[in-house]
Amino acid sequence: MADGEENDEFYLRYYVGHKGKFGHEFLEFEFRPDGKLRYANNSNYKNDTMIRKEVFVTPAVLKECRRIVSDSEIMKEDDNNWPEPDRVGRQELEIVMGNEHISFTTSKIGSLMDVQTSKDPEGLRIFYYLVQDLKCFVFSLISLHFKIKPI
Amino acid sequence: MANVEAEAVDFEPEEDDLMDEDIGDGGASSPNRGANVPRLKSAITGGLSSSAPKKTKGRGFRGEASAEAERNARMSGRFDTLDSDGGPGPERSIEGWIILVTGVHEEAQEDDLQNSFGEFGEIKNLHLNLDRRTGFVKGYALIEYENFEEAQKAINEMDGTELLTQAITVDWAFSKDHLAVNVLEVLGGDSDVVGSFGRILWLSI
Repeated sequence: MADGEENDEFYLRYYVGHKGKFGHEFLEFEFRPDGKLRYANNSNYKNDTMIRKEVFVTPAVLKECRRIVSDSEIMKEDDNNWPEPDRVGRQELEIVMGNEHISFTTSKIGSLMDVQTSKDPEGLRIFYYLVQDLKCFVFSLISLHFKIKPI
Repeated sequence: MANVEAEAVDFEPEEDDLMDEDIGDGGASSPNRGANVPRLKSAITGGLSSSAPKKTKGRGFRGEASAEAERNARMSGRFDTLDSDGGPGPERSIEGWIILVTGVHEEAQEDDLQNSFGEFGEIKNLHLNLDRRTGFVKGYALIEYENFEEAQKAINEMDGTELLTQAITVDWAFSKDHLAVNVLEVLGGDSDVVGSFGRILWLSI
């Protein structure tokens, strides 16, 4: 029953955040190889505290996450021409899929304009949309399981 | 192996000196790690891996100590979970049971899912997310039923069928327990392990 591709390791972590007037505001989630999905969202805006949730997802969910990642072809990209993290903020995307391990960092992306005017619009666009798709997936999972509005 | 974790507690992130909470985590971490918890990155892959070394790419490997220390601090400490009576098996969500449908046709609409899945029970929640770039359906849907039996029936009857001429798979979304993952060199390489729901899962790390 073992399928070659499904037997490979899979790990995914995404972080976006900045430090400012309201402390270290960030959003972070990770899919671990054992199925644990962890989600954290922190802001001190209006004295909010941190939301930290975790739940085990099934292999079906991990498989769908993998598919989203592999359809995006992000593993072929490289962050060396992407804007470096700066005072405005930082994004991190770390993925292990099969025998490849990427760990990209870049600044926050405000809009498609930032993508188009960068030195690697094609690659950054892939990153930009993948992050949105992953957030949708994770927010749906977390909000349905815990009945919270994650953002 | 049950994943028993307490309910949410208040905490101050800055005071959280604890290492990653894997210590209490069923089988996902090596008992040999003990208090000497390596960085999450290496915990997942390098060092403990019995497979070939990975091709790495990206600025994140530059090893900025401060970024990593911060990440460890963020990921340590307690994360809220829902109470569970221990694995294995699907886990109930806070108000119902949630299933994942994949292979959903890109032009599917919520009505299509309501029509196909509504016969098993009232659909309490339906998420049919769109691809953020194309505007088409991304390919998955999450459906919540109030009762376990309704969800189980939907899985049994719809998994492997076709929706809008495209094959779909249907399965539980959440699990009470972790996957049986061979993370340890001590287990002596790859081995067949029985995962949740009676399926044979074979993952090597």
